[in-house]
Amino acid sequence: MKKALALMLTVSMTALAFPAFTQAEAKDYKIAMICDSSINDGGWGAACYNAMVAAAEENSWTFEVTDSIAQNEYYESIVSYCSLGYDIIYAPGNQYTDAVLQAAEEYPDVAFALLNGAATTPDEAVNGNVTSLLPNAQQIGWIAGALAGLMTKTNTIAFIGGMELDTTLGKYQGYAEAAKYVAEQDGREVSVLDPVYAGSFDASDKGIEFAKAMMDNGADVFFGDASAVDSGARQAIDEANKAAGEIKVFDIAQPADILGQNECIICSQVTDNSAMISLCMKGVEEGTFGGETIYGTLQNGGLSAGAISDLVPAEVQDQYKEYLQQMMDEKFMA
Amino acid sequence: MSFVANLLLATVRMAIPLLFIAMGELYSERAGMVNIGLEGLAAIGSLVGFLVSFVTGNNWIGILCGALAAIAVNMIYAFATIQLCANHTVYGMAMNIFAPALASFIYRVYFGKGSDLSQIQLMKGIAIPGLKDIPFLGDLLFNQTPMVYIAFLLVIFTVIFFKSTRAGLNYKAVGENPKAAATLGIDVIKTKYLACVICGALAGIGGAYLTTCYSNTYTEGNIAGRGFIALAAVIFGRWSGGGILIACLFFGFCDALQIRLQVASIGIPYQFFQMIPYLATVLALSIIGGRKLGPKASGKPYRKEER
Repeated sequence: MKKALALMLTVSMTALAFPAFTQAEAKDYKIAMICDSSINDGGWGAACYNAMVAAAEENSWTFEVTDSIAQNEYYESIVSYCSLGYDIIYAPGNQYTDAVLQAAEEYPDVAFALLNGAATTPDEAVNGNVTSLLPNAQQIGWIAGALAGLMTKTNTIAFIGGMELDTTLGKYQGYAEAAKYVAEQDGREVSVLDPVYAGSFDASDKGIEFAKAMMDNGADVFFGDASAVDSGARQAIDEANKAAGEIKVFDIAQPADILGQNECIICSQVTDNSAMISLCMKGVEEGTFGGETIYGTLQNGGLSAGAISDLVPAEVQDQYKEYLQQMMDEKFMA
Repeated sequence: MSFVANLLLATVRMAIPLLFIAMGELYSERAGMVNIGLEGLAAIGSLVGFLVSFVTGNNWIGILCGALAAIAVNMIYAFATIQLCANHTVYGMAMNIFAPALASFIYRVYFGKGSDLSQIQLMKGIAIPGLKDIPFLGDLLFNQTPMVYIAFLLVIFTVIFFKSTRAGLNYKAVGENPKAAATLGIDVIKTKYLACVICGALAGIGGAYLTTCYSNTYTEGNIAGRGFIALAAVIFGRWSGGGILIACLFFGFCDALQIRLQVASIGIPYQFFQMIPYLATVLALSIIGGRKLGPKASGKPYRKEER
């Protein structure tokens, strides 16, 4: 009888212990993204969301997103996910910095990945649980600007911003200097219209009006950093091209390769956010996350140019690829 | 085209959705119903207009369904304020919170949590032969989508209706003195419900215009305060159809101007230009809004049994 009881006890204890053991081994890691633009904006929000999904699938993490949130909801959305036990909060934008730092102080066990955060932001986190993912804004601008400088026929190009963020300004400056530089090499002078700001990332109607006004001012190549506002601009450009009977005004998209989404898109500046998020996930799994800045550059593959449209003549494509190589070799504008 | 001609074209584009929404508010307030929930009504109209156009490929059905959806939502406000005599402001604000959230929910249910950009074909413009070739005014007035012509016709109809028809005068009487109107045999309750139906329909059409005639995508928050600007336009327009048309064109002009001035790159910080529409609204209301010209029974509950 005693032997039978001992056997039963052993079997039941093993049965209880085994699931606990397997549970500890296969922790279900979770990442949550917050975003003030929509994830189906055909631009920034979509690209950042897709990057998170790709990284989560690669690393077998589960993911969640809350999009189209107002500024006063940044902090509340973040801490809601923190309290639900999410391992990483992914905030794709410089504008979330204050909310992230505040939440990071209150939730030391949660990792915070801040895309486009400043290089100094991780040092400001008292618990060392913030990492900045920092694509090189100047190089992003260069990638778009070099093609814009080569493709413009009117020698006037334009840039549309959502809000005046440091990274947006950095992209604009890189875009302007690269366009001017490549045009100078061809003996031309390119004029870059001053950056305009919609004051929001959702106002596609403002994008339409900005694009129409800029085309009236002679702009024939566009680049932007404004999410759904960019989608509105592309709509206006497509309409203008249709009315003209030929595609003579172009757009360069970012940060994902969306060639084909609109007729006017000739290329995309691509940022591999997925690789940077993957690094964060590995850091969390290995317990080494936080306190660093992960840079995305042309040199480390974090930045690149996407597929080029047939609207770009073959000789221009060759020239552009040469300039891209110069950027890779750190010889561009040197 | 010149700077001025392009600016005026942009003005019309930006004024039309405002005009529909503001006309809805006019019909509401003329029956004593102060509906500040226009933002919410336009939001649901915008989503349903887009969604139905996306599914059916027909913008007209989209706009019709957008109007019906906004009417349905506005019936909550109507029942609460007419039957239950609830506070108009509270229920208007409730509409502004509830309807955009409902629109987001429907969008997510239909399109899922994907990142694909959904686009539709916009309503095509109709150029009126002969008139469209008039220099300057041709493109401005006679080369637009049918919704623009409908908006202008609505203004003309409204002016005639309220000024020159018995039905219009009866309607206005409900907003001025419902008890006196009732003694004349006017069905006050029915008129107030009718006002809510018209208000819902026009605000919904204003929202649907944005996604079927203006922008070919739907984004949350695309109404962007137009519901509140429409309220200001009704006050600025002194509760008259013609006045509201001028007010909407003025607000549209200010918005179009700030965009064109930003693009003109004249060395002034862009924030200054972004202030223009708001500054204009404050100035206009401080000049015009001082005198109370609206319906006297606006926002007041109507109880049949009260003396």
